[in-house]
Amino acid sequence: MGTRIKYVALTLFAIPWVVLPLWMVIVNALKPLGEAQALSLGLPHTWAFGDNLDTVVNDGHYLTGLRNSVLVTLPAIAVVLLLGSMAAWAFARTHSRWLRAAYYLTTLSVLLPPAIIPSIYLLREIGLDGTRLGYALVTISARIGLVIFLTTGFVRALPRDLEDAASIDGAGPWQTYRHVLLPLLRPILLVGGVILMITVWNDFFFALFLLQGEGNATLPLTLFQFASSTVDTLSWNLVFMHVVLTSLPLIIVYLFVQRRVLSGLTEGAVKG
Amino acid sequence: VASTTLTQATGAPEQTAVRASEQPTPRRRKSPREGRHWPWFALPAVVLVTVFFALPFLLNAGFAFSDWSGFSDEIGFNGIDNFRALIDQEIFWPAVRTTLLYAVCMLVFEMAVSLSLALALESTTRINTIFRSLFFIPVLISPLAAGYIWKGMLAPNGPINGMLSFFLPGTVDTAWLGDPNTALPAVALIEAWKWSGLVTLVYIAGLKAIPKELLEAAMIDGANAWTRFWRIKLRMLAPALTFNVAVTLAIALMAYDVIAPTTAGGPGDHTTTLNIAMRLQWGQSFFGSASALSLTVAVLIVASAVPLVMWMRKKEVN
Repeated sequence: MGTRIKYVALTLFAIPWVVLPLWMVIVNALKPLGEAQALSLGLPHTWAFGDNLDTVVNDGHYLTGLRNSVLVTLPAIAVVLLLGSMAAWAFARTHSRWLRAAYYLTTLSVLLPPAIIPSIYLLREIGLDGTRLGYALVTISARIGLVIFLTTGFVRALPRDLEDAASIDGAGPWQTYRHVLLPLLRPILLVGGVILMITVWNDFFFALFLLQGEGNATLPLTLFQFASSTVDTLSWNLVFMHVVLTSLPLIIVYLFVQRRVLSGLTEGAVKG
Repeated sequence: VASTTLTQATGAPEQTAVRASEQPTPRRRKSPREGRHWPWFALPAVVLVTVFFALPFLLNAGFAFSDWSGFSDEIGFNGIDNFRALIDQEIFWPAVRTTLLYAVCMLVFEMAVSLSLALALESTTRINTIFRSLFFIPVLISPLAAGYIWKGMLAPNGPINGMLSFFLPGTVDTAWLGDPNTALPAVALIEAWKWSGLVTLVYIAGLKAIPKELLEAAMIDGANAWTRFWRIKLRMLAPALTFNVAVTLAIALMAYDVIAPTTAGGPGDHTTTLNIAMRLQWGQSFFGSASALSLTVAVLIVASAVPLVMWMRKKEVN
C-alpha cells in the first residue's frame, strides 16, 4: 500500500519534471514553424523533420560544432584522466613536503572558479586565444583537480603490496603504473570520466570566452549563436531541433554505459 | 580525507630520514632509486594547473584593480576604481544580491528534490533503477539547452501554464521568466532541474553507507520513519551533504549558462548575476571591471563554501 502510493507520487512528479520537457522538445522539433509557435504537446499535423534537420545542419553549423566538440572533449578527457591519475599516484604514495603542497594547490581548483579573463590574456600572450588548443588547455587545467582529488583518496585506500611486488619483480615506475595501478583505478576513473564528459561536453561559459570564429565553435556555442540569430522570437521548432541534436551524442553514449554509470556513481563517488 | 592526511604527515618517517642523511651514514635507504620518480609523475599535472589555473587566478587579483580596457593598450593600476564605478552604476551590490539569492533558491529546490528522490529510490530494485535513470537524463543535457527547453515550458502559452489552466479555474498565462517576482526563482529552478539527478545519486551512495544495524536498532527502540530520517539518516549523510552543498554553491555562484538563453539578465536586472554582469562589462571592453566582478565570484565561493566545508567536517567528526 505504502509502496504503491510512493510509485504513484514518483510517477506524478516524473511527468512534469522529465517526461513533459523531453516530449515537448521532441514533438515541436518535428513541426513546421507555424505549428511549433503554439508550443502544444500534440503530434505534428505536418511533419517537418527533414526541413528542420536541413536548416539546423546548414544554418546551425551542427556538423562543425559536433566536430569541434569531439576534438576538444575527447583529448581533454584522455589527458585529464592520464595526467590526473599519474599525479594522484604520486600524491598518495609520497610524504614529500613539496608534493603535498602541490596536491593542495591542485585540489584548490575543485571549488575555485577558473579566472576566465586572465586566461584569455595569457592565451593571447602565447598566441593561442580563440583556438581549440587554448580552450582545451584551460579546460584540462580547470578539471584535473577533481580527478586528482577523487583518485588520490582512492589510491590511499589501496594496499601497496601489488606495487611493491611489481617493483621487486623488476618493473620500473612507468610499467608499475601502466600494468598494476591503472587497471585498479578503473572504477574511480569511470566516475571521473562521466563527470568530465558531462561538464566538458556541455560547457558553454568558457567556450563563449575562449573560442572565436564559427570554425572553432563547439556544440553549445553553435546552439547559442543559432538561437540568437533568429530576430525577434525564437523559432521553437529549429531551436528544439538543435537542442535534440546537441543533446543526442551524450544520451546515446549514456544508453550504452547507463548501468555502469549509475552503479559507479552510487557506489564509489564520495566516501569522505 | 583531512584526518588521514594529518596522521600521515605526523607519522611520516621521511622528515627524520632527511635529517639523518646529513650525517655521514644515512640510516634509512631502501634502494637507491626509491621515490625518485614521484615528482616526474606529478609534474605534468602540476605544471598545467600552475600555468593555466593558478597563474590566471593571481593575475585576476591584479586585473581587478587595473584600468585594462579595450580603449587603450596600456594596463595601469587604478586601485578600487572599478569597484567604485560598478557600485556607482548600481551594478555591483544588486548583482551580489541576485547571485546569492540565486544560490539560495537553487540550493533549496535541489536539496528538496534530490533528498526526497534519494530516500524514495534508495534500495536497488529494478523499478527504482528505471526511475534513477529517468531522473538522471537532465544531468546529461547542457545547462544552455536546459535553458531553451524550460523557456518553452514556462512560456506564457507553454505547457506549464497549460497544465495549471487545466487544474485551476480560469486561464493561467503568467510569463514566469518575464515577471520580476518569478524570474529569479524560475531560472534557479532550471539549474536545480539540470543537476538534481546527479545530486540524488550522491545521496543514494551516502544512504547505502549507513550501517543497517543502526537503523534496525532504532526501529526496535520504536523510532518511526520520520525520527529515523532526522536523527540517523540526515546525520549519517553529512559527508554527502557537505559535498553536494559545496559543489552546488560553487555552481550557483558561477551561474551564467541557464540565464543567458532564458532571461539574459532581465527583466530589468532581476536575474543579472555577477557572471552575467561580468560578460556585459567584457562586451563593453571594460576588462578591468569584468575582472573585478569575476574576482567577486571567487571571493563569494571561498567565503561561503570553505567555512561551510570546515563547519560540516567538524560536525561529521562529532
